[in-house]
Amino acid sequence: MSFWRWKRRETELDKEVRCHLEMAARERAERGEKKEEAERAARREFGNVELVKEVTREVWGWRWLRDFVQDVRYGLRMLRKSPGFAAVAVLTLALGIGANTAIFSLIDVVLLRPLPVRDSEHVVLLKWRAHNGPSFQSYSSFGYCHIDQDGTEREGCSFSYPFFEQLRSQAWIFSNVTAFAGSPGLHLVRGGNRIKVSSPLVSGEFFQTLDVRVVLGRTLQPSDDVPSAAPVTLLSYGYWQNEFGGDRSIVGKTLYLDHIPVTIVGVAEPNFSDLIPGQTSDMWLPLTLYSRVKPDWSGRGLDDNAMGWLTIVGRLKPGVSLAQAQTAVSLFFRNEMLHGAKPLSKEADDPRISLLPVQKGIVGNRWLYEKPFYILMIAVSMVLLIACSNVGGLMLARTASRQKEIAVRLALGAGRARVMRQLLTESILLAVTGGAIGVFLAYWSLAALRSSDWLGPIHDFAVKPDARILGFTVLVAVLAGIIPGLAPAFRGTRVDLTPTLKEGAPTLPNISQHGRRLNLGSALVVAQIMLSMLVLAGAGLLVRTLVNLKSIDPGFDTRNLLLIGIDLKENEYSEQQAQNLYRELQSRFSSLPGVTNVSYSSSVLLSGSLWSGDTSLERQKERVTRNMLAVGPGFFETMRIPIVAGRGFAAADFESTHKTTIVNRAFVRRYLENRSPLGLHLGGSGSKEDPGEEIIGVAGDAKYDDLKKGIEPTTYIPFKRGGGNFELRTAATPESLIPAVRSIISQLDSHLPSPDLKTQTEQINRSLFRERLVAHLSSFFGLLALALACVGLYGLLAYEVTRRTREIGIRTALGAQQGDVLRIVVGQGLALAALGAALGIAVAAGVTRYIQSFLYGVRPTDPGTFAGVGIVLAMVALAACYLPARRAMKVDPMVALRYE
Amino acid sequence: MAEKKERYQNRIELLQGTLDLLILQTLQWGPQHGYGISVAIRNRSGELLQVDTGSLYPALHRLEKQKWIKAEWRISENKQRAKFYQLTAAGKKQLTKERSKWSQLSDAIAGVLQPEK
Repeated sequence: MSFWRWKRRETELDKEVRCHLEMAARERAERGEKKEEAERAARREFGNVELVKEVTREVWGWRWLRDFVQDVRYGLRMLRKSPGFAAVAVLTLALGIGANTAIFSLIDVVLLRPLPVRDSEHVVLLKWRAHNGPSFQSYSSFGYCHIDQDGTEREGCSFSYPFFEQLRSQAWIFSNVTAFAGSPGLHLVRGGNRIKVSSPLVSGEFFQTLDVRVVLGRTLQPSDDVPSAAPVTLLSYGYWQNEFGGDRSIVGKTLYLDHIPVTIVGVAEPNFSDLIPGQTSDMWLPLTLYSRVKPDWSGRGLDDNAMGWLTIVGRLKPGVSLAQAQTAVSLFFRNEMLHGAKPLSKEADDPRISLLPVQKGIVGNRWLYEKPFYILMIAVSMVLLIACSNVGGLMLARTASRQKEIAVRLALGAGRARVMRQLLTESILLAVTGGAIGVFLAYWSLAALRSSDWLGPIHDFAVKPDARILGFTVLVAVLAGIIPGLAPAFRGTRVDLTPTLKEGAPTLPNISQHGRRLNLGSALVVAQIMLSMLVLAGAGLLVRTLVNLKSIDPGFDTRNLLLIGIDLKENEYSEQQAQNLYRELQSRFSSLPGVTNVSYSSSVLLSGSLWSGDTSLERQKERVTRNMLAVGPGFFETMRIPIVAGRGFAAADFESTHKTTIVNRAFVRRYLENRSPLGLHLGGSGSKEDPGEEIIGVAGDAKYDDLKKGIEPTTYIPFKRGGGNFELRTAATPESLIPAVRSIISQLDSHLPSPDLKTQTEQINRSLFRERLVAHLSSFFGLLALALACVGLYGLLAYEVTRRTREIGIRTALGAQQGDVLRIVVGQGLALAALGAALGIAVAAGVTRYIQSFLYGVRPTDPGTFAGVGIVLAMVALAACYLPARRAMKVDPMVALRYE
Repeated sequence: MAEKKERYQNRIELLQGTLDLLILQTLQWGPQHGYGISVAIRNRSGELLQVDTGSLYPALHRLEKQKWIKAEWRISENKQRAKFYQLTAAGKKQLTKERSKWSQLSDAIAGVLQPEK
């Protein structure tokens, strides 16, 4: 029944009853009764008008809806009457619900959102496993899948083109199978500008396999992906919108990607921007274009089976099970690895294939977030629990003070269930209002998070409140409304009516009952403090971890260091020109005021990028594995890495054909048992023509790619080729040099892409984004939890003081000093806080080991951290106790006693 | 609310089925409003049956919901707008059914109450 029909019925019933009364009255009047008499008699005869209406309405059904509307109206009126309570409760719930919505939104968008692939449950990713990895001569992966490096097995997701061709010919396994690689780093040439585009290379079956459709034109087809075909491309929807303003006549037009003319065949549907969640591609190119675009990650031919570079995804043929397909594909892989054009594996390595559902397989960098987000989710659910019990405590106190009202309602014949529903409606009202504000808070804070660098590589995600997130919030809000409302509703309606209704009786019916209520209130406060201790202890450990990580000595001076990344690859510099440019830049940077040293290296330190390999060491049978870093002149001085033996690189080392190298101390420790390495050779054949690299010096230990890793054997070689990054040691703040650095670069070559500028400190922060994220957010939630718990403590004590006003008055009248009163209140509060804290620490000691993998340099049961959060808690709890205690001290015995 | 409902049901119970029969029977003589029905029942029963409004109106609305009677706002003889109820075809059938049920019941009760011969 619609609301309006119900409304109409309501007025009709009203009229009908009035009509009845009027008729009865008129008849009596006609019989000679006085008008007022007649009306009164008619009314008496009719009985209770409202009751008659009520029982009649019951016939209509939908009573619950009317009751609900009535409850809501009544609830709103009650809440308006106590705005303080309503505000605290709504705000508390808003914070709890908002925190949960925010974190769940992140989890949803980063971890749960499905890949943009139709029927993705039938689409699988190929992953190889082997005891020893196949000896690919060139191997690239593009971050599509997560490789577990800790296991005893080797694994990977990159395959060769010949292997893909074999698989493609086996039509009985997959209805479609596709291979793809990352973007070759091309530039769109438009109006004299060169803009880098993200254009993955995909085989002709890519869009059929993933079942991606177009909004315009057609997708790439297998016929586009043959060497003789004219180059074509499919644009992504976003790129089409942003770069071409959604021009509908775009299909058939030609783009220039560097020097290659490429014809646009279509525009993909909007929700497919890339297979990796959170990434966007501009366009897709056929795989066979590979030989023409010569990507910088390989110089090998398409038909080379020792080049692993393709990610392979297939759609299982209906009726073929995952196990069947896995066995068959494994067989092909094994055969290829053992007996292919170039055998890459040994029998004993047992190379084989696992097929993973694409949703689980293609993770991009989502896996980085799994743990941080789940840790934060646990933290915010505790915040929510605290918020709920906090509101529960408030409602309990409020129900107690509403005892009389409830008793009146029960006495007037309201059912207990009805009154309970009324109380529950009030708490759900609070929760729904809190939820609405919470959603607002969540999106506001997510926007703030996005504009910070806390989220690391996925800051480019779009959090849209989708059905799942809203469903989650509604669920949380309703639970947050029902749970705190339950206890007061049960308690509140269990009333002994007579004493409650008696005039002048104490607000609370009898001692035993208020004892019970008090215990529940205290228990709620203890639980809140316990939970907040738990969150705080976890946060404390994570903050300690971050501090420990930041105070790691990486072996070089990280302060006042500006890092400059210059992308030369696309500007057709010859090797010699590039080296000249680096030298020129080095000398110009050096002459900048405020710069003390300048150098460059093949990669930035602590950025996660690592170059390593194995080689032979003179007079040693075993091969040695070491990290390598190519460094420019003055690198060790710039980074302040000491040369502890031998010498550093001199100008001649960068020019002559005599190869030299500097090893670190870890290298000497590991491979030479601390014997002097000077004069020994690395690599080479041992002959005079090919002596390898001579070790000319030993450098102090410095971290390379990752702050958390130990020091590994590393060799430094003179920077003679390839791309580099500059390091500027500055006297002033590094950021102040950024404009000067930019202008020097554009003066030298105005066509160079804009450089990537950051300080070493920023670089470290970026590499620690997960630790920073969990440390910052969990301490925020920890403090929030603490604040809420102390509001709960304050509320309980304030209520207690009000309830015990008379007792305090008597005590004061009998000679108790203000100090005694203070002790009573503060003592009770601190006892609860101490109990909560003790329980919290006990539980924390038991569960913090679950975040152990996230900790660095601190034990999960670190006593210092636990003591620290205990002290913070004690201080805040003291403040929460003091306010009600002060009020208790001001109780005037005369007023308190006369009050009765 | 629970106890209150019970109270009313107890009263209806006295007339269970019979009130519906009485209403349908009253409407057999022509459309009538709520007050008119209660007056008619009272008068025809020689003031013995006093229909409680708390039973009458729910019964009217229930019969309307079952489509045995239908309602219409009309002007009464006193020039007053009132809600008039009238029998539907289904209501007439129902009346016949209820009447025969009632006579069976009263025969049966009479049979039980008859002193043994």
